[in-house]
Amino acid sequence: MKQLFIAFVVLTLGLLAFSTYQALFVAPTEQTMGDVQRIFYYHVPSAWTAGVCFFVNFLASVVYLWKRNLASDALAAASAEVGVTFCTIVLITGPIWARPVWGIWWTWDARLTTTLVLWLIYVSYLVLRRFSAGGQTQVLAAALAIFGFVDVPIVYMSIRWFRTQHPSPVMGGGENSGLDPAMLHAFFWNLAAFTCVGVVLMVVRYRLQMLEEKVEATHAAAALQGDSR
Amino acid sequence: MTGPVALKAAYIVTWVILLGYLGSLFRRFRRVREEMKDLKRGG
Repeated sequence: MKQLFIAFVVLTLGLLAFSTYQALFVAPTEQTMGDVQRIFYYHVPSAWTAGVCFFVNFLASVVYLWKRNLASDALAAASAEVGVTFCTIVLITGPIWARPVWGIWWTWDARLTTTLVLWLIYVSYLVLRRFSAGGQTQVLAAALAIFGFVDVPIVYMSIRWFRTQHPSPVMGGGENSGLDPAMLHAFFWNLAAFTCVGVVLMVVRYRLQMLEEKVEATHAAAALQGDSR
Repeated sequence: MTGPVALKAAYIVTWVILLGYLGSLFRRFRRVREEMKDLKRGG
């Protein structure tokens, strides 16, 4: 299992190197925006990976409420933290792109606002897990995760439902949407690379969570032994 | 902020966040492993 994971990490590193090369040197320069458009190759895959992580968090939370097993709770914790990391990248790279293109860093447009709300929901989830005391923390966190996930499809649909400042969908947005094939090629390589990075981080964070649970259980057992003496 | 500067800034920010997060995971791993060793040593 460990060797399989190491092979996957090596594959991810190779993919990252290739996709970065594709994004920076192979993909054609966009005519109106110029080189700043290349942020798209990091920004959108980061948003996609955050969405995948929040979906894993949603599934793991449902399984936890159903089965009450430690592994699904650990996976929920891991996926939420990795999702917040990628969502943070989205919220920082977006304004860096917006400043030269729109002339402003931020606007309260539907996509930007719903993404910020999404980030706040999952930061609240992590804060709840970190600081809540008592035996109901995992149940409360799972419930929050299930309600919080409602915002993910809202973020995705926001640029379809409301035509505000954020660019309209590049793919699946109707007749006038689409990318140059060379750009599409670079985009899919980056999408694959970022998804793999997300998986690697989730696996590492999951193993850490399981180890932390083990240490906590050992501490609890030692305390009980001390009490009974 | 010009286009090329924005591009560099976005790429740097992305990698600083990802590598910083990975670093924090490894630090937490080391701390938990040390705690585990102490627990084993303590009985």
